[in-house]
Amino acid sequence: MLHIALPTILAVEEAAESGGLFDIDATMPLMAVQFVILALILNAVLYKPLGQAIDERADYIRNQQVGSQEQVAKIERMTQEYEDALSSARREAQDIVAEAQAEAQAVASKALTEAQQQAQAERETARGEIDKQKEVAIATLDAQVDTLSRQIVKKLLGYELS
Amino acid sequence: MTNFFPLPITNVLAELEVGEHLYWHVGNFKIHGQVFLASWVVMGALIVASILATRNVQRVPSGMQNFMEYALEFIRDLAKTQLGEKEYRNWVPFIGTLFLFIFVSNWGGALIPWKLVELPSGELAAPTNDINTTIALALLTSLAYFYAGLSRKGLGYFADYAQPTPIMVPFKIIEDFTKPLSLSFRLFGNILADELVVAVLVFLVPLFIPVPLMLLGLFTSAIQALIFATLAATYIGEAMEEHGEHE
Repeated sequence: MLHIALPTILAVEEAAESGGLFDIDATMPLMAVQFVILALILNAVLYKPLGQAIDERADYIRNQQVGSQEQVAKIERMTQEYEDALSSARREAQDIVAEAQAEAQAVASKALTEAQQQAQAERETARGEIDKQKEVAIATLDAQVDTLSRQIVKKLLGYELS
Repeated sequence: MTNFFPLPITNVLAELEVGEHLYWHVGNFKIHGQVFLASWVVMGALIVASILATRNVQRVPSGMQNFMEYALEFIRDLAKTQLGEKEYRNWVPFIGTLFLFIFVSNWGGALIPWKLVELPSGELAAPTNDINTTIALALLTSLAYFYAGLSRKGLGYFADYAQPTPIMVPFKIIEDFTKPLSLSFRLFGNILADELVVAVLVFLVPLFIPVPLMLLGLFTSAIQALIFATLAATYIGEAMEEHGEHE
């Protein structure tokens, strides 16, 4: 028997019953029974409820993850749709702008042409008028020249040329 | 032999008694009272901690629930590693209780000042430093793996003793005896040796010097609990393992 103690303990040792390090007795089976009972109790108060909690949480997280993945996919799809709509609208707007520009261009050039034509026509008319008046003036002058010439001749010659 | 130390040392805490027991008589049987007292403390602590943890189970754990979930996840991982994803759930209670009981016993033995409680004979210490406890645990492990093997394969379990060659039969049979023997003596020896070393050092140098050894003792205690639980799981897993020819 291994014993490390002061001599005063000796009295206790003598009083103690047979013992020892490898003293195997009814402690062993009782301990085993106790352990099984502990395992059963812990199963009821620890492993079952807490294991269930852990599993439920794992399920919850998995579901949430699947749900949010779906959400993300949905959002991505919607974003794509919106982007498509946006780009088509932009294209449309560009078309409209281009059309309007072309239209405006056409109107402007038409107006310009008309104005030019009108100006041209007015110029022509004016020129015709001028020419006519010039002719009239020339004709008048011619007549006057004739008369004056006859008078000059009459004065110089003293008679009229026939 | 009884007086190792001739110096008159008066420190009561440094007294060390090994192999002395507080005997209780149950019918015609003698049992070691100090072991039971300590084990009740350990079991009470475990049960109280468990009830505190699961009293109000939340999806987002906090406090005690968080701590015990951490412990349970550790045990589940241990069992899963040894037994595989399919089988481990049924064995979590057994392996987990082994680990928790041994771990709390060992650490309780090292951390709780048992010496303050006076017993008529013997002294309180970790329940695992009594050979009866460790043998009980080891034999339960043996029963567990026999149960696992037999319930899985029926009597074919014993046919597997001849795998891969019949030469293995005697070795496998010897193994059935050495497994509980090594399990129980490893735990018993480690814990007892640790407590002895610390006690002797405290006896010689009461201040500071034993602290590193106490820390080492805590480490060893944790490792021993892990080893016991892991080996138990391994044995159970081995017993349930299908051999190549059955597949």
